[in-house]
Amino acid sequence: MLIEIADVKLSLRGNPILNGVRLSMREGEIYGLLGPNGAGKSTTLAVLTGLRQADSGTIRVLGLDPARQRRELHHQMGVLAEDSGFYGWMNAPDYLRWMGRLYGREIPAEEAARRLAQVGLEGVARKAVGGFSRGMKQRLGLARALLTDPRLLILDEPTNGLDPRGRREIHDVLLALSRDRNVGILLCTHLLDDVDRLCSRIGIIHQGETLLEGNLAELLAEKTGANRYRLRLGKRVSAAGEVLPAGVKAVAREGGWLHLDLAPSLCPNTVWSALFASGWDIIEIHNEGSGLEALYLELTKTEVAA
Amino acid sequence: MNPVTLIARKESGELLGSGRGLGWMLALSVILSVLALLLVSNTELSLLDNAQVVYMVMGTITALGGLLAIVLGSDAIAGERERGTLIPLLLTPITTTHIVLGKMGGLVAAWVLMYALSLPYLWAVGSSGQNLAQAIAYLALFGTPVVLGFGFYAVGLSARFGNVRTALLTALISLILLASPLLLGPSLRQSAIGQAFDAVNPFSAALNTFDSVVIDSQPLGMQLGRLAVTLAWLALTFWFAKRSAQTMEI
Repeated sequence: MLIEIADVKLSLRGNPILNGVRLSMREGEIYGLLGPNGAGKSTTLAVLTGLRQADSGTIRVLGLDPARQRRELHHQMGVLAEDSGFYGWMNAPDYLRWMGRLYGREIPAEEAARRLAQVGLEGVARKAVGGFSRGMKQRLGLARALLTDPRLLILDEPTNGLDPRGRREIHDVLLALSRDRNVGILLCTHLLDDVDRLCSRIGIIHQGETLLEGNLAELLAEKTGANRYRLRLGKRVSAAGEVLPAGVKAVAREGGWLHLDLAPSLCPNTVWSALFASGWDIIEIHNEGSGLEALYLELTKTEVAA
Repeated sequence: MNPVTLIARKESGELLGSGRGLGWMLALSVILSVLALLLVSNTELSLLDNAQVVYMVMGTITALGGLLAIVLGSDAIAGERERGTLIPLLLTPITTTHIVLGKMGGLVAAWVLMYALSLPYLWAVGSSGQNLAQAIAYLALFGTPVVLGFGFYAVGLSARFGNVRTALLTALISLILLASPLLLGPSLRQSAIGQAFDAVNPFSAALNTFDSVVIDSQPLGMQLGRLAVTLAWLALTFWFAKRSAQTMEI
């Protein structure tokens, strides 16, 4: 196990911040840590990295206790904290080389250039970091997190500020790290699309407590029980004429779009064929994903109400 | 390379290579030039003797050094926090003590430069007197722990408050308080409270030593108690900075 924490509790000035967080993660896994603002995600990351000490609970990261073995841990992990800054007067290669020395590593200029290219920052060697866009800084932060060639990478909102192409490139880098180098990646994000695309396991934290943890596909099958699709309909279908096959349920209609939930046992292609055969004028079909958003909203909403 | 050296070199480069550092040095040169001109004029008119003038320049340099130390020290950790660069530092395998000492390395470089810049002014006002060499030596010996002590104190405040403005304001008030007996004049300094405060005040210890050595030509042996006060100030403020950095909230 790369990370194994259970029943972690932490209070600040008498206010409970973490109230029973659990998280377990294996090598090569990409784990999505989700939760509303103020749920305790960043505090959990601070506990995992040894920046904060929990009041109680079991905490092992890479087999080490972060509170007591922080320095050993930081040699083996890479972290991109949310809104982490840089020395604006340095250029990117100099910055990486300087940070490398803090880790006790001398990074040659060629290696710095290669590491920058890995995150899509070619051709910026002479530019001061102060002139970088937010997206470029995120990439540089990722390059910094990878300096130690870590077994475990902890990323807090790594695709913040990136354009769609940039996000996709970072996704590809993360997937390659997980697949080719067996790096475990703990991804803390609000972007459910990132989680959908990257993560095999998720944990949802709310009010300092882990509400749900497990394999993403299994959780969705178990908790949502349906696959949601969005269909753009042409003019030839009237509301009265929408007769749906068994196991298909219309859940919403917005403008020209109809949202359908398909029972997990149904093959979508069979459903579409049946609809076409019965005269439906379907212009576009979108898979609304796995229903992660619905699961997330439902779970956090229920807890708020409780 | 040692992390303290790495951070100190980065700090020195950032400070001395930037407009901020150059601005400081230019301001220091202007202040010392004006002061030296006024004092030399007074000496020429026999309003002040040479030793008195050297003493005043030494006091001014120490006070300006203290001011520089609290400005840089207040920014040391709180500034890193506000710019988002503290967390990446804390996520490396270095300790908070390395960070504190590295930051102080930048301040030492600035103080050394300030001291070097002040030498021509000391020579200009004191070359015709007898105690110029002692003045140069005692400014280094007593001024350095006082200035670095203010630096450590401000770094500690910076770690505790996590906010540059609050740390700077608190450090400035402390500097003014420590310098207040000197501003209030001899009558208050002669009172029991004034004497007790003088005895433990590192700023007073340095200035009283400058007075004793440069004006009264006393030997080092008579200044050991004051030297102990300045060194105790340095040790105490180092402990404060170290402890504050270790216990700061992230």
